[in-house]
Amino acid sequence: MSITEQLADVPWGLVWPLIAIQLVLMTAALIDLNRKRSTNGPVILWVFIIIFINTIGPVLYFTVGRRHS
Amino acid sequence: MKQFGLFLGKEWREQARSFKLVWVPLVFIFFGALEPLTYHFLPQILESVGNMPEGSEFTLPEMTGADVYASLTGQYQTVGLLVLVLAFMGSLSGERKSGTGTLLYVRPISYAAYYMSKWTAAVLLAAASLWLGYGMAATYIVQLYDDMPGFSDLILFLLVMAVWIIFVVTLTLTASAALPTGGAAGAALGILFIGMMIDGLVGTYWTWSPWKLQSYGLAYLMGGPDTGDLAGALAVTSVLIAVLVMCGILMARRNAAKARV
Repeated sequence: MSITEQLADVPWGLVWPLIAIQLVLMTAALIDLNRKRSTNGPVILWVFIIIFINTIGPVLYFTVGRRHS
Repeated sequence: MKQFGLFLGKEWREQARSFKLVWVPLVFIFFGALEPLTYHFLPQILESVGNMPEGSEFTLPEMTGADVYASLTGQYQTVGLLVLVLAFMGSLSGERKSGTGTLLYVRPISYAAYYMSKWTAAVLLAAASLWLGYGMAATYIVQLYDDMPGFSDLILFLLVMAVWIIFVVTLTLTASAALPTGGAAGAALGILFIGMMIDGLVGTYWTWSPWKLQSYGLAYLMGGPDTGDLAGALAVTSVLIAVLVMCGILMARRNAAKARV
């Protein structure tokens, strides 16, 4: 089965909300990070966590990454 | 009352600026969408992730809408509670630490209005997130599964779950009023999860507890709970919430002296 066929098999109508949520969470986390620039640990580490860890990455940033000050 | 309105406006802006208004509902909605999808496509997922020995066969149980709701509730009982506690653990303790507290506490504020405004904002956000999550799950269940629980049963289920979530949020806020942020998270999560363990061990005898609410709620989807036990559990939970709110107001006042200048 070629890649295009496999992609066509994915039920996009059901899956797109998950992808959209992931993107919104990522954007919100990145905007907040850019605004504050004060995190527990290096900022660049959090950029990678937010972008590369699905869903949990942004949530981790919002819960433990932000320094409350 | 005027103070309460002002404080509520402040809480609202705080939630918007810290993006809590975005990410807390989204996490719940995400799980609400993921859970029905995972169960519906489980055979294909098992096949493609694989590593199954040749010729092994599974007969997966036929899931109904109510089953999906039960398993989603299981998710919310772990990940959901964690998210809520982590989101609200700093509500009062964070203000004491950051200096926002000092700006407030030097004025003659009513600590009842102060605590209740935080409580209202947190409860509204938490309950709305939970309901949106279950709503999202409903849209998937309607599309993917044969039987969907009845609408009125679903509403009753959501109301019972809301009481449980209010208990969780109140516990977190009161812990935050009494302890520093880290301690508050530890205490709230500890009480919640130890309560679940105790409920698992002696739950059959201790039928009137907040930890029983989720199973009574789910019972509405599977043909009606024992209404006497449900009423008892609701009464006990309401009393606990009222006591926690009162403790929270007292602790907020007492700990105002600990605010960092």
